[in-house]
Amino acid sequence: MAFQFEPAVILETLPMLVRGLWYTVYLTVGGLFFGFLLGVTTGLMKLARRVAISCIASGYIELIRGTPMLVQAMFLYYGLPMAVGMRIPPLLAGIIVIAINSGAYIAEIVRGAIQSIDPGQTEAGRSIGLTRAQTMRYIIWPQALRRMIPPLGNQFIISLKDTSLLMVIGVGELLRTGQEIVAVTFRAFEVYIAVALVYLAMTISISKVLRMVESRLASPGRSKQ
Amino acid sequence: MIQIRNIYKKFGELEVLKGISLHIKAGEVVCIIGPSGSGKSTVLRCINRLETPTSGTVIVDGYDIMDPRTDINAVRTEAGMVFQQFNLFPHMTALENVTLGPIKVRGMKPDEASHLGYDLLTKVGLAAKAQNYPDQLSGGQKQRVAIARSLALQPKVMLFDEPTSALDPELVGEVLDVMKKLAIEGMTMVVVTHEMGFAREVADRVIFIDGGQIQEQAPPHEFFAQPKHPRLRDFLSKVVGQG
Repeated sequence: MAFQFEPAVILETLPMLVRGLWYTVYLTVGGLFFGFLLGVTTGLMKLARRVAISCIASGYIELIRGTPMLVQAMFLYYGLPMAVGMRIPPLLAGIIVIAINSGAYIAEIVRGAIQSIDPGQTEAGRSIGLTRAQTMRYIIWPQALRRMIPPLGNQFIISLKDTSLLMVIGVGELLRTGQEIVAVTFRAFEVYIAVALVYLAMTISISKVLRMVESRLASPGRSKQ
Repeated sequence: MIQIRNIYKKFGELEVLKGISLHIKAGEVVCIIGPSGSGKSTVLRCINRLETPTSGTVIVDGYDIMDPRTDINAVRTEAGMVFQQFNLFPHMTALENVTLGPIKVRGMKPDEASHLGYDLLTKVGLAAKAQNYPDQLSGGQKQRVAIARSLALQPKVMLFDEPTSALDPELVGEVLDVMKKLAIEGMTMVVVTHEMGFAREVADRVIFIDGGQIQEQAPPHEFFAQPKHPRLRDFLSKVVGQG
């Protein structure tokens, strides 16, 4: 039987993907929310003067960046319960994996952005009597945040796409939903095109939103001139 | 006001300061000159502990800044610093640059601080630029805002680290004029500079640093008319030859 492309199937599939789409959104938003907090914390820890603190941060970053996310997910969902005797619900496990994984990359983004700010800014802050913490809060952080936006956008898109790996721990996210539809309809060609289109729509939205944030935060002097 | 006693500073193997002692009285204007790499900026930066001397003592307005019990943030508010590269905060308006210190360090109310900020910007001739961001200002204007920012803490001493070296030549005058005004008002000032005209006209004392040591110090008329040290004579002939 010759293959026949049926574009209509793509359109018919889209509404069926909505439930999976929501899971992907939960995973991405939840994972990145906690990943951002974790990334900022560990990024700042890596810059700490105390060697012990920066070592903890480095250890975490190296461990997570150096192992595949798929392995981390399998370990957390299948491996860890063997030791502690309790399985985490799949959605929660997925959010945790995205959080610790994106957190490691975001930590490096945060550290890089802070270190890219001219040391003269810190000196100027300290010379008017601000403490280290005040200098970070009022002078370094606002400038660093602007520089973080483009690489953060990149990371958000990567994490969104990485949620598809979480089908292996049984989260009914977008790709898994697509796979279930294929199992019934056997229209793999059209269904996976539909799945890809939904991912594309989401990643393009992220880029758009971040570009808006970026222009909002842009150095006021430069944009008004 | 400032007493520097026998300070040494090493960066790794490199010894930048080799026993500098310097006393600066209240109201005195001291200019420090010398070739680049001579350690003159380092001396200045040791006064508010942006650099910590390897040994020796620095006492600013009665505070021993090497003493760990000294609140260094408090000392820094007594010694305003003006940098070669201005180091204005680019994400804040000129006014916000000036008021940040008073609000966060002195706990001043925002409207009170902005009053003070306008007064200081008026003093440096930039009241009209209060709402502008640093990127919208010329180099000379940025440096004048930076001076206002330091003055906002009502320091007892002002430290200037080559304040006009990064400026286009036609903008140097406006910054020097502000500094002269401060000197006339009786501000204690330590100025690392290459502006010999300024040193000659405004300084009470000129100091020549070379190789991490004070080689010569004298009132300007004597300093420029009868330089004793051969290296100073050499330095002056080169600098004056250019100017």
